Amino acid sequence: MKSTIFSLIEKDVSAFPSMPGAAAKLLKLLRNPDSSTAEVENILRCEPGLTANILKMTNSAYFGLTNRVGSIRQAMVLLGWKRLYQLVIASCVSAMMDKPVPGYDLPAGELWRHSIAVSAAAEGLAKELQLSGTDEIFTAGLLHDVGKMILGKFVEQDLVKIDFETYHNLSFEKVEQDILGTDHAEVGARILEKWRLPAEMIAAVRWHHEPENAPSISQMGDVVHVADFISLMIGVGVGREGLQYEPSKAVTRRLGIHIGHIEKIASQTLEWVSDLTASFK
Amino acid sequence: MNQVITVGDMKIGGKGDILVTHALGSCLGLMVYDPAAQVGGLLHAMLPLSKINLQKAAQNPYMFVDTGVPEMFRQLYEIGGQKSRMVIKAAGCGQPLGNSEMFQIGERNYTVLKKLLWKNNIMLEAEDVGGVISRTVYFDLSTGQVIISSKGVKKEL
Ligand SMILES: [Fe+2]
Ligand SMILES: [Fe+2]
Repeated sequence: MKSTIFSLIEKDVSAFPSMPGAAAKLLKLLRNPDSSTAEVENILRCEPGLTANILKMTNSAYFGLTNRVGSIRQAMVLLGWKRLYQLVIASCVSAMMDKPVPGYDLPAGELWRHSIAVSAAAEGLAKELQLSGTDEIFTAGLLHDVGKMILGKFVEQDLVKIDFETYHNLSFEKVEQDILGTDHAEVGARILEKWRLPAEMIAAVRWHHEPENAPSISQMGDVVHVADFISLMIGVGVGREGLQYEPSKAVTRRLGIHIGHIEKIASQTLEWVSDLTASFK
Repeated sequence: MNQVITVGDMKIGGKGDILVTHALGSCLGLMVYDPAAQVGGLLHAMLPLSKINLQKAAQNPYMFVDTGVPEMFRQLYEIGGQKSRMVIKAAGCGQPLGNSEMFQIGERNYTVLKKLLWKNNIMLEAEDVGGVISRTVYFDLSTGQVIISSKGVKKEL
């Protein structure tokens, strides 16, 4: 039974939409230090929707630019290429992730709000802890639960089993593994692989509920793990499984996190979420 | 009229109002009702102590239990509520699994509430707190009835 479900999930992963061609090209350009601003502009010239989205986000209060940005060239100068990379991805997935997610009981917009909350809280934590090399943390946060979009349907079919008494004290990704043979973190990682995103980002998504099982320690993955709990605790995108996940003590220890860090970031997260989501409307 | 209280907010009202708040994770949901005056309020506070972010607390006292609860009582007194008649119920204050101290915001919210009430000689009439579930609260100000819903199951508090 489990293997049949697993092959159905595999099928859905391969049928999952790829990155739009223009976005894929842009992402490649933006990761290559030899590319030029003109090349990026050339691609975006034929993509008015994507361009408009990027500019709207650029002007979000979250990024704190004082003057209104009206062109991609300006956005690249003021925000930098790494931000632009994040915004291309955000703009491609926003519509898709705005839909309701059955199984996890997330109404329309909630997976997106949760993802934005984890991105912002993860960036906030990385800054608070003065971590470096976490440029991709925003995108890792944004995509950490993307697997729920595929797994939701299967979770819904098995809700009766999932609500079974034996599963009440088990971290939810283990419930998924037990019943479906995989979990939303693994499925999400497969989607990121399909999109050819960087390996560390894929690992952060794959191990966001089980950072202790990751083959190598990643600060980015660790921070996303903690930021996820912040978002759930403050009720942003908290679904059917509620807070039924287990935080890793090894992670909080190696990051040197205190409850003060967590509460401080929590107190700012809602504002970040409303700044970022406002720019999409 | 149905009024929705978002995270870090509070609303008061009277007869005919139903106060609703969704997705109480670690946050505290506090329902206060004066049956004689038929007035009440619902607070959805996120964090225990305002000292973690005084600037935020100045903008919005309802984000924190220590500033939100007194402000809620003050507003209820203004519309005719009396302390001696208040019926107080609490919901939320959940936690993730395990016992990591770093994620005990729910328990800390609850402790700060209990201390505040104790100092002011106020009893908690009923509570549905703790655990990993996320809760939705419906608070009917015509009757004072509080319904808690989680995973589609409703019960009266
Ligand atoms: Fe997750
Ligand atoms: Fe999550």
